[in-house]
Amino acid sequence: MSGTPATAPPLRLVGVSVSYGARTALRKIDLSVRSGEFVALAGPNGSGKTTLLRTVLGFVTPSAGRVELFGDALESLSILERARRVAWLPQEESPRDDVRLIDYVLYGRYAFHGLLEGDSEEDYRLGHSILEQVGLADRADDGLLSISGGERQRAVLARALAQTTPLLLLDEPTSHLDIGHQLDLLARVRDLAHRRGVTVVAALHDLNLAARFADRIVVLSRGRCVADGPPAEILSEGLLAQVWGVVADLRREPRTGMPYLIAHHLTTAPRGPGSGTGFGPVHVVGGGGAAAPYLRTFADDGYSLSVGALHLLDTDAEVAEALLIRGPIEAPFAPLGPEVRERHRALLAAARAIVVAPFVVGPSNLANLEDLRPYVRTTPSFLVSRPSITERDFTGGRATQVYQQLREAGAREVTGMEEIVRELRALSSGPPTPSA
Amino acid sequence: MEERAPPAVGEATPSGAMRLRRSSPWALLGAIVAIVAVAVALSSLLGTVFIPPLTTLRLLFGLPNACAGTSVSPDLCTRWGEIIWQARLPEIVLAVIAGAALGISGATLQGTFRNPLADPFLLGISSGGTIGAAIVFDFHVGQVAPDLFLPLFAFIGAIATGVAILAVAVSRYGTVETLLLTGVALASLLSAVLALLLLYNPSGSQQVSYWLLGSLGNASWPVDGIALGVLLITGTLLSLFGRELNLMQLGGDVARSAGVDVRRVRIRLILLASLTTGVAVAFTGIIGFVGLVSPHVVRRIAGTDYRYVLPGSALVGAVFLLGARDFALLVYPTSLLPIGIFTAFFGAPFFIYLLFRRRVGSPMGSL
Repeated sequence: MSGTPATAPPLRLVGVSVSYGARTALRKIDLSVRSGEFVALAGPNGSGKTTLLRTVLGFVTPSAGRVELFGDALESLSILERARRVAWLPQEESPRDDVRLIDYVLYGRYAFHGLLEGDSEEDYRLGHSILEQVGLADRADDGLLSISGGERQRAVLARALAQTTPLLLLDEPTSHLDIGHQLDLLARVRDLAHRRGVTVVAALHDLNLAARFADRIVVLSRGRCVADGPPAEILSEGLLAQVWGVVADLRREPRTGMPYLIAHHLTTAPRGPGSGTGFGPVHVVGGGGAAAPYLRTFADDGYSLSVGALHLLDTDAEVAEALLIRGPIEAPFAPLGPEVRERHRALLAAARAIVVAPFVVGPSNLANLEDLRPYVRTTPSFLVSRPSITERDFTGGRATQVYQQLREAGAREVTGMEEIVRELRALSSGPPTPSA
Repeated sequence: MEERAPPAVGEATPSGAMRLRRSSPWALLGAIVAIVAVAVALSSLLGTVFIPPLTTLRLLFGLPNACAGTSVSPDLCTRWGEIIWQARLPEIVLAVIAGAALGISGATLQGTFRNPLADPFLLGISSGGTIGAAIVFDFHVGQVAPDLFLPLFAFIGAIATGVAILAVAVSRYGTVETLLLTGVALASLLSAVLALLLLYNPSGSQQVSYWLLGSLGNASWPVDGIALGVLLITGTLLSLFGRELNLMQLGGDVARSAGVDVRRVRIRLILLASLTTGVAVAFTGIIGFVGLVSPHVVRRIAGTDYRYVLPGSALVGAVFLLGARDFALLVYPTSLLPIGIFTAFFGAPFFIYLLFRRRVGSPMGSL
């Protein structure tokens, strides 16, 4: 159609849209896959990865656009012709019959057999060489149900490979495998692409695996293609937050040089058990790392959070940033300035609970304690009392004095994490407190 | 180094893992053919009239002077010859044909529906045949030629049910599950219709209930000829679908990705199985358990490859029905008890035995 099979891309989607009833699963997808390329389809559940693969296989008919296999429109190819061009490794094939592996692999030769043709010597040779390729050479006579799950997925790969197609589609092939078998399977698939020129399109929900093995990642989000390119170029913390709603750190794997991600939590963290619906903001005052454990725990519990004036490069400031918690930041080591204090007071005013972490008080951050005074009268406030204020007072007693004033004004002392978590849960499930 | 981290392939084999033997399924099928032949010969010894075994065999092989050297009069000898050739053999051949037809239909339906319980009964194909027969009995249709009209109506009833299931198969709702449930629903609906017919006209009820239990009493050479003609065509065609059924066991999508036009194959298989069942039901009434049990027996002895399960189920079905006929005559030689009683009598316990004997961890499909 648009090119001879020799030069045409193995797979091309032009403006493909797919709808299931009122729900649109794919919107105007354009994709062209080069020969011998390993393309990973990534995206959260329901983003359209599987639908895209099923459309290429002809299981789903697009409502708009067209799919081309090696230059020919998909619908112009018969089911047999398709089977000779594209093979499929489903997410999980659960065979029910204890077939010998070699016979099972030869099931994949269906598209090449005449009506009355049996399996030839050549078929068996091919079957055995494919089993060897997937590392199951010595299991040829074993029953499909007697091998392990990891081996079975390789057997399924072998069955798909027996179709000897130039294009291979994999639908989350590693989702039921342990980490060792995941690496093994994908390494084999990558070898197919790079050594044998098989074009591979694989839906992979593990981004780190995708980044490690694929030449190119196509990111789908709600049926749209939102990113497309080599892993190192397209993977970013912003993409993770935008598509997956996940806060993650992007690092570079020192040995492979490949990007990898450490996911932390959701940008909209689910509410933990016991926490009230929409309770917050809970304001945490800290510094020097004292607030970090409280911030993490509260974020996990699902409270919306704010944090009290911190210094740039301070551990608490980094944690707050990673958790996407708002808070005023002052220049490193400088005393808290009037602007920062003003913003801090605004957050205190909006808070429905205040937690004062056991931070070390020095001249530069004493204002954090002082500014609390009017708010502890109206807002439930908690002072973490261990280690005691006297041990971390580096203001010559000034901090201890303010601390006592806060207690007298109504702030309650709590001994540590457990108690404060309990208090916050009680608070959030109780009658709503009007904020000051 | 980091890439290869080979998973421990060697240790993954469970200690009890069984190596599937490379038995030649064709040799097994050959053995079953031989068993059928022996069963036919032995079955000819049994009948409502006692004929000495040696004489029977001589008559069977058409030896001259079959009764020479005995005290049997030539007249009686001639009558014995007629009994064997005109009564026993047609009955035996019908048992073989009907058993084979039910066996291969059962295997086809179990494979098509990926369900080890599927058989012509579960899907209502047999019930459709019964409705056809009940119409003949109750409304005295075709009084002029009951021998023609009864099988014809039964056949039409069975096919009609198959076509009704097909109507679902060609629709966009044609998944394996909807097809199977449609068949089950149809079977229930048809038994309600049958009950209504029986209430409406109780006079036909005894004939119908006899029909419901199956019988080889209608056997004759012309009947056998028609039945064999249909079975040879449908059975041969069905046996060609082994590869497709093998792939369909892995799921419709997998089969399709490997090149099987699943929808078209399903339609053909259901149609062929209905025809095959229809011809058995038309001449023998309802004989249960043959279609259900035979494929499971084959899978146990020859494996799950449908290229062998299909013809194998035909042969096992033939032996099964013949055995049931022989047993009926052994325990109650003078009467023609409905053979369906005996297939159920042996089929049900045997089926339960198979269920309990199946290898631990092997799912229903491979029994």
